[in-house]
Amino acid sequence: MIKHLAAAALLLSTAHLAIGPAVAADPGITDTEILIGDVEPLTGPPALLGVAASIGHKIAIAEANAAGGINGRKIKYVLEDDGYVTARTIQGVKKVIDVDKVFAMIGISGSGQSIAVMPVLEKSGIPTVIDVAPVKFLWEPPRKNVFVVGQSYEEGIIHLINFLADKNPGRKWGLITQDDDYGITVRDGFDSVVKAKKLNVVYSGNYKKGQQDFSSDMLQLKESGAEVFLAGGIIAENIAMMKELEKLGIKPVTGIFWPGRIEPVLKLMGPAGDGIYAVDYVEPFAGTAGKAFLEKAKPLVSEAEFKGINRYTMTGYAAAKVLIAAIERCGKQPTWACTIAELEKTKNVETGVMAPISFGPGVRFSNQKLQIMQADAKTPSFKPVD
Amino acid sequence: MQYLVQLLISGLAIGAIYGLIAMGFAVIYKSTGLVNFAQGEMTMITAYIAWTISTTVSGNVFVVAIGAILAAVLLGLIIERLVMRPMLGEPVFATVMVTIGLAVILRSAINFIWDAYPHGLDIGMGRGIVHLGGIGVRTGQLAVIATLLLLLAAIWAFFRYSKVGVAMRAVAADDRTALLMGISATRVHALAWAASSVIAGIGGVFFALSYDLSPAMFQLGLKAFPATILGGLDAVLGSGLGGLLIGITENLAGGYLGSGMKEVAGFAMIIVVLMVRPFGIFGERDIERV
Repeated sequence: MIKHLAAAALLLSTAHLAIGPAVAADPGITDTEILIGDVEPLTGPPALLGVAASIGHKIAIAEANAAGGINGRKIKYVLEDDGYVTARTIQGVKKVIDVDKVFAMIGISGSGQSIAVMPVLEKSGIPTVIDVAPVKFLWEPPRKNVFVVGQSYEEGIIHLINFLADKNPGRKWGLITQDDDYGITVRDGFDSVVKAKKLNVVYSGNYKKGQQDFSSDMLQLKESGAEVFLAGGIIAENIAMMKELEKLGIKPVTGIFWPGRIEPVLKLMGPAGDGIYAVDYVEPFAGTAGKAFLEKAKPLVSEAEFKGINRYTMTGYAAAKVLIAAIERCGKQPTWACTIAELEKTKNVETGVMAPISFGPGVRFSNQKLQIMQADAKTPSFKPVD
Repeated sequence: MQYLVQLLISGLAIGAIYGLIAMGFAVIYKSTGLVNFAQGEMTMITAYIAWTISTTVSGNVFVVAIGAILAAVLLGLIIERLVMRPMLGEPVFATVMVTIGLAVILRSAINFIWDAYPHGLDIGMGRGIVHLGGIGVRTGQLAVIATLLLLLAAIWAFFRYSKVGVAMRAVAADDRTALLMGISATRVHALAWAASSVIAGIGGVFFALSYDLSPAMFQLGLKAFPATILGGLDAVLGSGLGGLLIGITENLAGGYLGSGMKEVAGFAMIIVVLMVRPFGIFGERDIERV
């Protein structure tokens, strides 16, 4: 009797192994859908980047779903708002992983927020692709399950300052940065070039986050006689600075960083913004690739979402494409381990919005190619110059 | 010398905006004894409504101005009737917490109703640059200074000579006695909320005109609140002048001591002033008879 029971048990377990489980062992995946989670600032001023990035994720997901999903499973996007408050980011990520039980994470708010949430991501082991705010801490040291699409803030600033320094030899320099981790990163990048190229810095300002009036700061810049200026604001700050300079009747050669490289900002700067330089790793919308992306996006998102598209939509789109492709390569029964392994194997994945994306063994950062662009206030748009 | 004058003019311009919002704080405090922590958000909402009128109805300055004022009145009345009146008689702490909650809701409303992008308020004027003795100033900045001065005079006259103004002062002094004299405290409160919303809203519209509209605009309330404390929480005119003082101090500190000192200077001044006059420069000393 015992022999019969043992044989029956063996048969059952063999049959179970042969057929395979009805659903995969990892959470967030059923026979019909795969859940991808994200936490972004959807309210408050940084919603400008959070909403845009989430639109990029939606476009890539809609595109994949329209093509039949991931090996027959439709992708469902679970999005939480953190209001750019770090405590809420941690809470949101925990909720998305533990309650919604998503299969993978994407995006994840600003630099400070993604740094703070790193222990949660590492502990859970969930495959994650970060695309909004690439900072070194996210990939140094490399974490097994966390991949970053983009370029570091430091490298971006170094590229921009090198370009401006080569173009304007012997000129006097001015710089203003925000008094937070973002500002420190910008300043560190700037300082490294100052030392290497022995730049003559005549003005160095530091403003408090949230400052809206830059009259005294720009007056100081004018008095210093600076001829090349790195405006280290994000969005509204750069607009206010450029308008102050216009009021003061000076127009130094100005460089801005990619968080502020969005067309509505240029529109608000008006003539004051004409000719400013920016650095970025995503394609400008005025170029062929940018136009093609907008054409692709139009039928996939609502009218309101389409209006919310900016450079962060491209970063979000590219990251989602990479993640979806990795899950897809795992076949019918994707697991976290397989997805992470496939993400690591990502090699020259074309997204159409930035240079091809690659990771590798122990390489969790895509290290995107940078390009310099110049603003044209009439259109208003940014056009590549290098 | 030109450097100093330039700093003073810019300081007066931003200070006038702080002053208008600070007056909004003081009007409510004077009439209801309440600090409205949603003042910056109400300012922002009015500015966004002005922008919506300018882009959807007409960019004519009079249409935008009248529309924005009516919207601000409505906003103040709605908040008073639906949110604040049910809190009458409740502990001050609870009422203040309600204004904090209101601030969060109004802040979030920007993204739900409008978007996170910065916008420019274009009404065909206010953005031009005029040169006064070689110093560039935006016409909107000159207009906001003039508006503040006019409003200061008008409000002084209102509280001194109008029946409603005297009634508001009576309610502020002793609402029970005012009630016995036939003055409706709830009506006075409603009027105070509407007036506060309009005065602060004017500041917001001028800010949008000189700078830009963005969801970060609510932070103006944080800058204007020290101006109210400096001028005196119960001093409407003093709060307006407090705004000018804060604006000038900030700019002088930023211009002579460095960018980092700009945000600190106003608060440093408040600490010093409050040590000497805890009720603000123009505020009334609170005397409790035992």
